[in-house]
Parts: sequence; structure tokens; C-alpha cells
Amino acid sequence: MFMPKRNSSNRCLFWILGGILLLLGAGRELFAETRLFSFTTSKGLTVKVLQDNNMPFIHAQLHIFLEGNAQNYTSWAISQLTVMNMFVRELNSPPSNLLGMLQRQGNDYQVEQNPEYIKISMNFLPDRLAAFPKLLKEIFYYQSFHLKKFNQSRENFWSLYSKNKDWRKEMAFLLAYQQIVGNFYFKGLLFQEFVNKINLAQLRSFLLKTFRPDNAILIIKGKINPYFILGMIEKDLPQPSPQPAKAKKEEITINASRKVFVLNVNSPELPAIYWFDTAPAVTEANYLPYFIGNFTLFGFPGGRIYKSEKNQFLMAGYKVNTEAYFLKNFTIFCNYLRLNYNDLENFLLLVDQERRKFAVQPIERKEYLDALNFYIGRAQIDTNRFDFGLQGEIDRFHAKSSGSLPARIGTELFQEVSINRVVQVMDEQMGNRHKSGGKEKGVVVLIGNAALILNNLKILKPDTIELLTD
Amino acid sequence: MRVTKARIFCCLVIFPFLSVFAQTIAVNSFELPNGLKVILSPSNDMQAAAVCVYHMRGVRNDPPESRGINYLYQYLMFDGNENLEPYDHVLFINKMGGTVSGRVNYDNSFFYELLPAQEINVALWLESERLKSLRLQDRNIDYHKNQIYGRINRLWESNQNFKAQTWVNAKVFEGSAYEYPLYGDLNKIRFLNNDRIRENYQNFQNLANILLIIAGKFDINELKAGINKFFQDIPPGRRQQNPVFGVQNQGKAYQVKNWLIPGLKKNFVVYGIKSPAKISYNFIYFDFLRYYLTDPRFARLDYFLNTVNKLNVEIESSFTDYMEANCLTIEISSPKRINLEKAKYVMEKEFQALSTNLISNSDVKSIRSLMEIDFLKSMAQLEERCLRIGEFYHMFSELNFFDAQLKRLRKITSYDILESAKKYFLKENQVVLNVYAEEK
Repeated sequence: MFMPKRNSSNRCLFWILGGILLLLGAGRELFAETRLFSFTTSKGLTVKVLQDNNMPFIHAQLHIFLEGNAQNYTSWAISQLTVMNMFVRELNSPPSNLLGMLQRQGNDYQVEQNPEYIKISMNFLPDRLAAFPKLLKEIFYYQSFHLKKFNQSRENFWSLYSKNKDWRKEMAFLLAYQQIVGNFYFKGLLFQEFVNKINLAQLRSFLLKTFRPDNAILIIKGKINPYFILGMIEKDLPQPSPQPAKAKKEEITINASRKVFVLNVNSPELPAIYWFDTAPAVTEANYLPYFIGNFTLFGFPGGRIYKSEKNQFLMAGYKVNTEAYFLKNFTIFCNYLRLNYNDLENFLLLVDQERRKFAVQPIERKEYLDALNFYIGRAQIDTNRFDFGLQGEIDRFHAKSSGSLPARIGTELFQEVSINRVVQVMDEQMGNRHKSGGKEKGVVVLIGNAALILNNLKILKPDTIELLTD
Repeated sequence: MRVTKARIFCCLVIFPFLSVFAQTIAVNSFELPNGLKVILSPSNDMQAAAVCVYHMRGVRNDPPESRGINYLYQYLMFDGNENLEPYDHVLFINKMGGTVSGRVNYDNSFFYELLPAQEINVALWLESERLKSLRLQDRNIDYHKNQIYGRINRLWESNQNFKAQTWVNAKVFEGSAYEYPLYGDLNKIRFLNNDRIRENYQNFQNLANILLIIAGKFDINELKAGINKFFQDIPPGRRQQNPVFGVQNQGKAYQVKNWLIPGLKKNFVVYGIKSPAKISYNFIYFDFLRYYLTDPRFARLDYFLNTVNKLNVEIESSFTDYMEANCLTIEISSPKRINLEKAKYVMEKEFQALSTNLISNSDVKSIRSLMEIDFLKSMAQLEERCLRIGEFYHMFSELNFFDAQLKRLRKITSYDILESAKKYFLKENQVVLNVYAEEK
């Protein structure tokens, strides 16, 4: 059968076009899972792109590192004031370029701070991706400090600091951190007298030293072309000024010995207990034994404190929450709950009693399996979070820079963590130490009406208590 | 032959675009022979799943003489059944790293488990167990009645703000399904008849009023087998006439009241603003205004009161989010009464300005994208997605709302907002309660 040549080539063209379109469509499905791209820009900014084509918006986190081991009371106040002047929405008169850009970006941002880093996280729609590198530039080269706003931030420091956050937990964590790292010391709440001594030049100097692309990591997740974002960042970020010579870092010595703090807060709410313990960094193989030990002790509702036969009070009525702070060189576990004043001492004694029991009653196989099961399950559930995968990348970044073992997070860890290893680590942590008469571990912060708390602490020695007032 | 080739070609051309549309949230459903409606929203890019039981019944369905009955189920649902002891349900899910929660509201009730995807059958079993044989013995019913009484009574005795907000809500919703608190009459809750509570549970767990919603990762065949195994032997419910939702008429009369409290440390004022129902077309525009004024990421009210006018007042707000009528509550407090009075004046002027002037385009753009991001975030969270799907089906008997909702969000203009402000920021739409310290 004769067919004109023109038709045949058209048909061929159609088929090729169809094939290309099919591949494009299938390509979307092939690349449905999250892919990681890592770069370091010529200005020293580490960029990690988690490409997730199913995500309808973009989530970004910028971590700016503070030298946690060089903190002191004044530098903490300076960094707090800097972040306030840059990011607090209430201080937008006169309007700053940065807050204007953040508003145009969607205004869904949050700034958190701990002694080791400032974390700026934000969500925005994909059509704002092109404007994002300019926003980064504005953060790194911020020049909108204003005396009027600065004075406002000093005057209203506490109300701005405590707004829209769980400031009790944050204060408790700071108290524990300073005790564990031992480099600065709170005499009371932060801290009007220190804040009043800070001037604007100190903020500028802090900004120059700290807010630098080569002192930060950017992680960005969503439907992103990694090369596009990298090109834009390269184009928009100017060369940073030469880095000032850093003072030699002191090695962090972790002091985990027992200290009980009482923080006086006049509030009708029930008092809160925060129990902090230190553990290795999440990337280290010994992290998991600590996790298992903590879960075996505090895990609700099957933990040892709930099962204790000598339980003097109805522990079942209280739920202990657990949170982990993943820091560069170590992890801090925080177990916290609110309970009646007359149950405070019962709880503290019960926890101590159960911790000591690890020496004579090591973790059993069932407890070990329960904890592992919980750990795996929680990791699986976390895949539902839109920021899933970001913390893992931060941990890997730290593990690399501190020269520790390559990151092994999640199920890979289990292959190396046997029950014997867990028993050994928990014995080192709580068992042997106690038996040899060493100091107990764990930092405890009690927040509530100090007079009532002290009235209810009858057995605990008074010299272990620091009274702080608001 | 030529026609077939043309068809294949069309399919090849259309396929990639179909896959672009597939990016929206997929929702589909089927019904068991016993009348249980199952709604599925798969997401295979994660290892978690949520199993939710959405009851199309809530406190508004309480018999008038026994208000508070449905609220009790919020606690009784965790108190064991024929095969499980109290809180075993929580224990099972917690042990695998999951979370359990639930609440009874006016229009609906919602219980869910968020858990690793491979454990989905455990959640199905637990949910079916409590639908079949919830423990409703005198002992545990009485325990929860006393617990609720104790908790609310403590709040009532110690918290003036709670008292004030309860009063404002009762006035805003006077004559509607939302007039009474969730727990009914506090003085009567301990004397609710236990037989009546057991009897009413038949309606609460009536399969015809329940949606089983599952979102996350699952294998459809295994899931269907699990659902059949655990739910098919539950007796079918009698399909009741579901209340057809309609916007409730909230009376239009400005109400203001003063309370004088001895020893009060902070004066405060509570505004109750009658707002559109969730089923109303205007809801999205009023929601925009709520974002504009009170969302902490925008907080224009805070800006006007504290930054511009330096009144140093504290602002708290809440929104009821009900289907047939709503209330935006704004509470402003200050130890200085003069600042409070100034704040009231500034607020009134701000409401007037919103009703006469257009919001700037940059603000409209910014809030629109904030609302869109929040919507997308809520759809990314499995339990939140289930709740939204259930609510939408409950209100409109439709499953796919994702695209329509996004389209409406993106089309909001400053004129829509102006019209909404004109309608809802009228003085006769407000209930105001001033709570002042009594001077000696």
C-alpha cells in the first residue's frame, strides 16, 4: 500500500512526541521519592536540597551556628536581642526590609534559638522560590538595625521573649545546659539588668561575626530544581568579609552530675518538673542504648516508674513527655510533666529509686524489644511530617565536621546495638556510678511557686536547691 | 486502525497531564453492606497511616433533658470494652510509637490513631472493638461524670476568663445549637441517668452516622480485607435523617455587660463577634479577616494596639469553627483600666476602617498565601486531613474539595474582604463583656 512520505514522517514525529510526553509523565512518578543534593557555595554556605516532587509547598531551615561553648550571660542576651530586632513582627515600626520580604514570602516563619544555633524555619509557596535567595542575602547582610526599635526591644524584653512560646521549657533547658556544659550561669531569669547594658554596636558586631554564609547550613525541601536554587544563591549572595580569627575552641566537658533548681513563678497552674539527662550525639552508636534506657524508665505507660511496686502515689494519673535536644556533640533528653505540689518529692524519689535499680535489675529482653519497637514505629510515623529528613541532614553535617563516625541513623543502628551493649551502657550511666558512691546524674528543674515547692521537699537536701526568682 | 492509533496517541499526550492532576489529594470511598461508609486517601510516599472514626453526631444531638451525654463519650471511648481494659487502647498504639486522640464537638466527634503503616489492622481492630462493646458500666460512667465535674468546677471557681468566655459564647449563640457548653449544665452532669447514657450510645455508634476515614500508606487489598474482617459483623445502623445544615440566624443586637470582681489583678474585656457558619460561602472571607487581625504571624490588632498606640495590652483570641454559626472571641487585658478603654476605642475604629477601606493588595497577597500554606500543611498531616475530609463530607456530601478550596483561596480579593467586614463587624453583631476590678 502506498503511503505518502510526508504522512509517514509526520506519524513518526507524533509517535516520538508522544513517547517523550510519556517519559515526562512517567519521570514524575520515577522521581516521586525524596532525593538529596548537597552543595557548598563559593561563599561557603552549605546547601542541602531535599527534592520532593509531591510536596505542594517549600520548607526551608537555615541554621546559624553559635559557639555553644563560648556562651556567657551577656552574649546570650546579645544574640536574643539581635534575633528580636531582626525577626520579631511586633518591632516593625519603622518597617524593615527583612520583615517586608518575609511578609511577601508568606509570613509563615519561626525563629528558635538555643546555645548552639539559631534556627530560622519557613514555609512558602513554590512561586516564591525565586525570591528566596534575596531573602537569604537580606538575612546574612542585615543592615536595618534601628535605635528606636532597639530601645523598644530592651524595654519590652521579657514580654517579647516569652510571647507565643513555652518559655518555661526553654528556661529549664537553659538552666540544664549551663549546668551540663558549665560555662555560664544564671542567677535569675534573663535578665533586665544584663539586657540594659547591651548597646547596638554589640548587636552589629555579633551579626558580622555570626550571620555568615560560611557559618550556616541551609536545608530546603520541596519541589525544587536543585541547580536552579544553587545558581540563584550563587548569584545573590555577595562574598562575605574575611572571617575574623576564631579563638581556640575549648573542648566541651560534660558535667552531668545532679543539680536541682527551683524556678519561682507565680502562676495558678500546677508546677512542672523537667528532668534532663545527657546522652551521646544521635549519630553515635551509643545513642540508642541511652534512648532505650530512657524509654524503659519514663516511657508512658509501660515504663518502670509506672510499674513500680513501691509507687507511693498514683503515677498513672500523670503522663511523662519526652523530648530530645540534638546538639552538635551530645544529646539532652528532657522528660517533663506537671503534677501536684505534694507529689513532687514522691516523683523525684521514685525516679531515683528506679534509676538505681538498673544496677541490680538490668534491662530485660522485653523492655529492650518494646523500646526498639517504639523507636522504629516513631521513626516511621515521622515520615508523615513535612520536615521529615531535615534533622537527619543536620546531624550528618555535624558528624562530618566533628570527625565522628559516619552518620548511622534509624534502623541501621539496631544491627550494632545488642541488649548486652544496652545493659553495659545503662550500667555505666546509672548502675556502677551509683554503686561506687559517685554522684547521681541528671539535672532537675522545678518550676512553680518556690515557697510551696520548698515546703513539699522534705527529704531532698536543701544544698542541692538553687532558688531563682522572677 | 487509524482510529485506534489516534486513541493511543491521545492517551500518550494526555497521560503526563493526568499525572500532574494526580498531585492533588486523592480521595475515594466505598460502603460496607452494613452501611459503614469508608473513605480512603492514600499517600504512598510515607510509612505512616491514620485511622479515623468520624461520628456525624456531637453535643448538638444531646437530648435537651440530658445535655452533656455525648461529651462523656470523649472519655468513655478510652475506658475499655469487652476485650480491653481501660487505656489498653492507648497502650497498644503508644507501644508502637503511635498516637491516639479524640474529641467530641458540637457538630461531630472524631477519634483517630496515627501509627506505622504496617500496623493499620491493629487500629482497625481497636476501633471496631469500641464500636461493638464500649464499657458503659455504672462505675466507669460515674467516675468520668465526677472527673468532668471536678475539672470544670475548678476552672469555674478559679478562672474568671473561663467564666467570662462561657457567658459571651452563651450570648453569641443564644437560641442556637451552640448555646450550651459542651458539658451541658455543670450542676446536672453528675446526675445524668446512666441508663440514658447507655441508651444514647446506640445512636452515637450507629454505623449509618459514622465515617471510617483512612489516610496514608496502605495496600488497598489488605486494607479492604481488614475492614471487612473487623467491621462487617457490626450490626447495621438505622440511617437517621441527618440534619441538613443551614446557616443559623444569630440575633442582631449589640449586647454589653459589666462585671465587677473584687481582687481582680487584670481588667479585661471579651468581644464575641458573631461570624459566618462553616457551611456559608462567606466563611473563607471572614477567616481571612481573622488571620488579618489575630493570627500571631500577622496580628494586625496587636500592631495597632501595642506598636502604634503603645497601649501595652495583652491580646488573646479564639475561633469556634462550628458548622452552622461561629464566634470570634477577642480578649484584651491590662492592669491599667485606662489602657483598656483606649484599646476598646482603637478596636472600634479599626473595625470601622475595615468596613470602609480596602485592605492593601500586598496584605491580601500575603494573607492569601499564609492561608494557602496552612491549608496545604493541614492536608500533609494525616489526622488533620482525615478530619477535613470528614467535615467536608458531613457538610456537603462531597469528597473532593482540595482543588475547589485552593481555587477559592487564591481568588480572594480585597473587595470580598471589605464586604465581609461590612457585614460582620457591625456593632449589633458584637457581644461585649467588660470585667473590671472592683474598687474599694
